[in-house]
Amino acid sequence: MHAAAGAGQEENPARIRRWRRYAPIVSSLSETEQIARAAAGDRLAQSALVSRHMPVVWRVAFRMLGDRQEAEDVTQETFLRAWKMLPDWEGRAKFSTWACTVAVNLCRDRMRKKAPVLMEALPEQTDSGLQPEQALHQKQAGSHLMGLVAGLPDRQKEALTLCAFEGLGNIEAAAAMDVSVEALESLLARARRSLRQALSEGQER
Amino acid sequence: MSTNTMTDERLLLLIEAYGVHPMAWPEDERAAAEAHLAAHPERFQGALEEARRLDTLFEEDAIMAPPAGLTERILADAPAERRRPGFAVSLGQLFLPQGRRWPASAALASLVVGLFTGYTASAMSPAEPYDEEAESLVYAALGYDGLETLIEEEVSHE
Repeated sequence: MHAAAGAGQEENPARIRRWRRYAPIVSSLSETEQIARAAAGDRLAQSALVSRHMPVVWRVAFRMLGDRQEAEDVTQETFLRAWKMLPDWEGRAKFSTWACTVAVNLCRDRMRKKAPVLMEALPEQTDSGLQPEQALHQKQAGSHLMGLVAGLPDRQKEALTLCAFEGLGNIEAAAAMDVSVEALESLLARARRSLRQALSEGQER
Repeated sequence: MSTNTMTDERLLLLIEAYGVHPMAWPEDERAAAEAHLAAHPERFQGALEEARRLDTLFEEDAIMAPPAGLTERILADAPAERRRPGFAVSLGQLFLPQGRRWPASAALASLVVGLFTGYTASAMSPAEPYDEEAESLVYAALGYDGLETLIEEEVSHE
């Protein structure tokens, strides 16, 4: 999905002033009320919902898929489903949990369609998709973390992405992955063990 | 996991799975885990050091920014605001066959047509002529020549 850049969405001073005036009100609303307003077409509530949750959804998709464009497609698809779902939202999960669940499932679908790549060992580095200054910072820090995480088994990567990188609680992350909390903890522990081992092997070389 | 049953094994698993920061530990076990750690710090020294190294790398990992313009592209697909219909639209909707409104508008239309037909028909009907012959017959049966005779007699009695 590559929707055309939002025509007529350019920022103008009046719109910015209106946003500044109403942003505190929108941000103070409960999530349920914000969702109800967004479903009714309230642009400010929709913007607040996207600003708050879109970066997390995109980062989860990017870490899972390792491709900026694919991550963007997954993010757009996630919100497209959200717009359709919002009018019947009452009683559903937290929006963040729901969005991560949809994004994780969309990523799984895409990964299933990709040809499996068998690796004997974790890759040392992959294309990070970072901006040059971010890549430089990461290089200076001596971190090959992204490459190491990318080489983890999919479920371990999902667990680590949701908990360690995006800070979701254990119950929320387990719900998004559709696993028990015990299974989530096991995946996290194995992921961290693999990373520790890969890092110490890298140091010994 | 009850907060009263924190064990060395459980705390080691929490550190191994979630790292060194208590805020990352499950909320319902956090207090017990922190208390257990404070009571026996020497037992978890090695696990904490190993986990801390990884946590530092996670924290140093750059936070990636989503592509520019993605917010606008997502909002372009968002539902538009539903505006209240104007008077003409509301009136049109009342008479158009839409679900439950149809019987009400049909009844209203029947009433309007009935009133209009009745009014038109009565306006177009010729007025019935006054039957003077029948009136004379009634007065004659009462013994009077007409209404005037009856009134005169009534006045004379007074």
